[in-house]
Amino acid sequence: MARVISLQCFSLARLLQSRPSVRPTLLFHHPRFRPISASSVSSSISDEDYVSLTEEELMKQCEMDTFKASGPGGQHRNKRESAVRLRHVPTGIVSQAVEDRSQHKNRASALARLRTLLDLKVRKTIDLNEYEPPPELLQILPKKSTIRGADSGPQIGPNNSKFASGMQALLDLIFAVNGSVADAAKNLGLSTGALSRLILSDDSLRMEVNELRSSKGMRPLK
Amino acid sequence: MGKLHRKTLETGVEGLGDSYFTESLALSTPPDDPDPLDSNLLLRELQWLLQDATGDVGRSQNPDLVPLRADLGDLYGLWRERVLERRPFQYVVGCEHWRDLVLWVGEGVLIPRPETEVVVDLVREVVIGRSGRGDGEEVWADLGTGSGAIAVGMGGVVGERGRVVATDLSEVAVKVARFNVERYALKDKVQIRQGSWFEPLEDVKGKLTGLVSNPPYIPSRNLPGLQAEVGRYEPKLALDGGESGMDHLIHLCEGSVSYLKPGGFFAFETNGDEQSEFLVDFMVSKLENSFRDVKAVADFAGIKRFVTGFRS
Repeated sequence: MARVISLQCFSLARLLQSRPSVRPTLLFHHPRFRPISASSVSSSISDEDYVSLTEEELMKQCEMDTFKASGPGGQHRNKRESAVRLRHVPTGIVSQAVEDRSQHKNRASALARLRTLLDLKVRKTIDLNEYEPPPELLQILPKKSTIRGADSGPQIGPNNSKFASGMQALLDLIFAVNGSVADAAKNLGLSTGALSRLILSDDSLRMEVNELRSSKGMRPLK
Repeated sequence: MGKLHRKTLETGVEGLGDSYFTESLALSTPPDDPDPLDSNLLLRELQWLLQDATGDVGRSQNPDLVPLRADLGDLYGLWRERVLERRPFQYVVGCEHWRDLVLWVGEGVLIPRPETEVVVDLVREVVIGRSGRGDGEEVWADLGTGSGAIAVGMGGVVGERGRVVATDLSEVAVKVARFNVERYALKDKVQIRQGSWFEPLEDVKGKLTGLVSNPPYIPSRNLPGLQAEVGRYEPKLALDGGESGMDHLIHLCEGSVSYLKPGGFFAFETNGDEQSEFLVDFMVSKLENSFRDVKAVADFAGIKRFVTGFRS
């Protein structure tokens, strides 16, 4: 309990510098986490549809580490290390969360992050001869796409939670055409420029595409 | 509560804050400390302290105003206690974030540990598994509830038909637990009773759907070597498990025979591997035919932390 209840004010700027970031951040570059990080996991091909798994099913596929696991734990320690790291065993993808004060909440954040990483990193194989973009992909395309029907509704942007599944389908396609934006654009009824703009509208999407392109010796999109 | 414009404080306070907190961080690694504080953790705690000490900036009409719940001098005093006296951070700010709860804690009650969060998950699984079976009231008990963490957590998962009775010997614990129950508006769902283990539960003897506890389990000889935050500040009553550490655990196992109804569930937290293995064996062989599906369950660090099972 706060002992003294009085109200004072001091510089907001000063205070904001020391306040924890409001947005959760991934501490992949924290030295303790460096040995395994999601960014070092290369994309894998899988027929498993991880996206449709429930929280509990997904959690069952994970190994969970809490940091400082050495020592007896429990009543012996004053535990302020509430950080959680999940390792998704089938893919080796690792996600973690440290920013919350309870382990329970960090576990939920890590699991949500794992889902995003699975969307980004796990590719489905596509048969280009019979390719038809799935509805979740159509939803994130701009209206000028010639294959986008009126029933696809308004274009969904990166801030919408449905964007992730569309992004996953888009990455599946871009991987299938070996990173060629022009070839992917043709399959989507878009100009190369329009698809480039879509890719550049989301940081994680752009980074994934560029990672693939650089592995194929192509110039990154900017 | 009053408000001051930042201009009136600008010069003095900004400088003060800077030097105070820098100095206290520098103090965080005394060279002669056998169990030094981790400076990364301390930095995170300092952020949490500021989080707890500042009011809602967004609601302030003037974005230059930041409401503070304690004056800077007091905050600095609290931080010094944390770093120099090793007072647990949770006692300094008076709360612990546990599961999705923020619980009041203070000297006199054990600070709930992250490991113990799992007990509520274990209960939730059983409640889900039982749903659709029977339609009567289901009573769950948490013995030695301390801050009431498990009891409040269970209050949220036992379902429509469930209610929780929690006991603690300590007067302080009962007061803190009641506060936490009321804070989460669970007064009708979770009842806190003062008394030793099963003593206040005569009215529900043989009727319990479930029984959980995180009793003191540290062997007495290990108490002097505990981490400073634990050994100096947390109540011995909540830590000391007697010579083997298992005095209370064994009492709880024996009591479960008569307090659980047939098919009733139990989960106890233990000191880890050795104690859990011993208890599994004890409940299977010594209290023969009383329990089924007795097993040790690991915590997230892979230590066999819990013993669970069902009354036959």
